[in-house]
Order: sequence, then C-alpha cells, then structure tokens
Amino acid sequence: MVELLLDPKIRVWVFLPIVIITFLVGIVRHYVSIILSSQKKVEIIQLQDSQVMIRARLLRENGKYLPKQSFAMRRHFFNNEETGYFKVQKRTAPSQNPMTDPGMMTDMLKGNVTNVLPMIVIGGWINWMFSGFLTTKVPFPLTLRFKPMLQRGVELTYLDASWVSSASWYFLNVFGLRTIYALVLGENNAADQSKVMQEQMSGAAMAMPPDPKAAFKAEWEALEITEHKWALQNVEADLLSTFANDSK
Amino acid sequence: MSVINKSKDNKPEPVAYSEAALRNNASVVEYCRTSMAALSGSTAGVLGLTGLYGFAFYVFAVVILWIMFMVRAGPNWHKYYVSRQSLLTNGFFGALFTYVLFWTFIYGMVHVY
Repeated sequence: MVELLLDPKIRVWVFLPIVIITFLVGIVRHYVSIILSSQKKVEIIQLQDSQVMIRARLLRENGKYLPKQSFAMRRHFFNNEETGYFKVQKRTAPSQNPMTDPGMMTDMLKGNVTNVLPMIVIGGWINWMFSGFLTTKVPFPLTLRFKPMLQRGVELTYLDASWVSSASWYFLNVFGLRTIYALVLGENNAADQSKVMQEQMSGAAMAMPPDPKAAFKAEWEALEITEHKWALQNVEADLLSTFANDSK
Repeated sequence: MSVINKSKDNKPEPVAYSEAALRNNASVVEYCRTSMAALSGSTAGVLGLTGLYGFAFYVFAVVILWIMFMVRAGPNWHKYYVSRQSLLTNGFFGALFTYVLFWTFIYGMVHVY
C-alpha cells in the first residue's frame, strides 16, 4: 500500500477549521442555552413534597449520629400511624399529559432548538462545505470494520482503514470534545448533550416526584424498617484514648 | 474527621465521609485527568508515536499522574481518597477518548502532511 501524500493546504483549510468550528459551536450552544433557559416554576406543594422526601432520606442515612430518642422522635413525625406526615398527607396522583402543559412544550422546543438543530445544520454544512477530503490518519492500525465509520463520504475500497475523511473527523470531534467542554466551561455545561439530558431528568425528579403518593409510601416503608444504630456509642472512650496517646 | 483510632474492643471505627467534599475531590481529580489526557495526547502526537507505543504512553501517563497524586497526598492519603486503586482506574476509558482525539489531531498536524 502506497503512502498517500496530502496537500498541506488541506490541513490549513479543512482539518483545522473543522476542529475550531466544532469547538466554538459547542461554546456558543452553551451560552445560547443559558439565554434561553427559563426559570422553572415549581408549585409550592411540589416543593414541599420534595423537601420532605429529602428530610426523610437524610434521617435514614444520618440518623446514626442522633441519640436514639431524637431519632425516634423524628421518625414519629413522619411515620406515626395517626399523625405522621406520610400518613396524613393525601396527595392525588397527577394524571396530566405533559403535552398539554404549555411550559413543558416550550422547554422541549428550546431543548430541540439548542441541541438538535445545530447538530443538523452544522453537520450538514460541514458535509457540504468540506466534503470529499481525506483529512488525517489515525496513528494506529484499524481493521476494515472501521472503514464506514471513519471514511464517510470517501468510498475507496483499497484505502487503508486508518485514513479519516472530513465528515468523520467532524463527528470524532463532536464526541471527543465533551471532556474538553467540561474543562473549559465547568461541570454542568450545556455544550454536552448527554449531560443536558441527564440534568433535565434529575432536575425534574428533584423538583417534583412524579407520583407523590407512591413516593411517600416508599419512603415510609424505608423509614419504617430503618434500624437505629448509634455511631457515637463509645465516643467518650475514643476521645479519652486519644488524649492518653497524646500525653504519652 | 477521619482519624483512625483502634478502639479497645477492636471494632472497626465507622468512618464518616462528607458527601460534598467527596464530590469536590472527584471533580478536581477529573479535571486533572482530562488535562493529563489532553497534554499527553498532544505529546504523543508531537513525538509521532504510532500503534501500541501510543497506548503504552497513555498507560504511562496515567500511572505518572497517579504517582503525582500519591506524592501530593503524602503518607496520610486516607484523608483525601477512599481508595488508591480506584483513583488509578476510575475514568480510564473516558480519558482515553480525549487522549486519542488529541493524539490524532496533533499527529495529523505534524506528521501526516
């Protein structure tokens, strides 16, 4: 197989611009989504529910640092058969369709505008503008299986699989620059699509448990079976032993 | 907070971890890892490493980073990390992708044309 010789102008006018364009588009997308993002309106009852859930979870996880009586008192507040919070509160399961909620619709539309649209537009533009170039060669050998992935737009049967075409170089950049965005823009940035999806999911779950009734029931059960085991049982002895060690 | 004392009855002391501190440490380590991947990828590209040498260089860089963490943390690394092994292995493949991208990029810039 003869080594190919590429025109150095491809490097300046195709290879480098694709990297820069991909990177800058990610940054622009980050700031555009900040502009478009709307403060989610949370109903007070939903906020109350989620806060109660958080408090119950904290009690379950960190209750071992409380004396037994304090733990029992707090659990009583949540779980008592007659007056416990989880027993008294009667929530109706929301059966609303997210499609009918106009706020939800706008959010989804904004997500599409900032995520999907640039992907299609920029990807199409790169495909049209820089089509048909071989841009680079990956510095390790690859099997033929990778050819359709790395040589999109350049169908040459006898070409070595480690050459990368321009369209594929764009996609490599899109997926590879994720961690760099985390470095440049900080953690929960909007340039990274998968992160955005995750954030939406967890954010929604935090703001409103989908069915408060079921969530309350689950939390009630979990709290009911929690066994109190005091972590600070022999804290005095430990403290005294440290002093004894120090004075030695 | 996590001073380990062997109590008299030889029960293992329950160690309390601060959730926020753990998360902060993890994100700082992740930052270091990404930077390391980018820098070592660029280095490999400039040096013109190909094939297995490049991947060996990545493993080398990961180990070097781990040793640097250990030297920085000193003998009482228990205060900062839960486990030394997971510090070495966490995010190995995530950073590998960044490494390969930078390696390919710089290699293409320097050696292909």
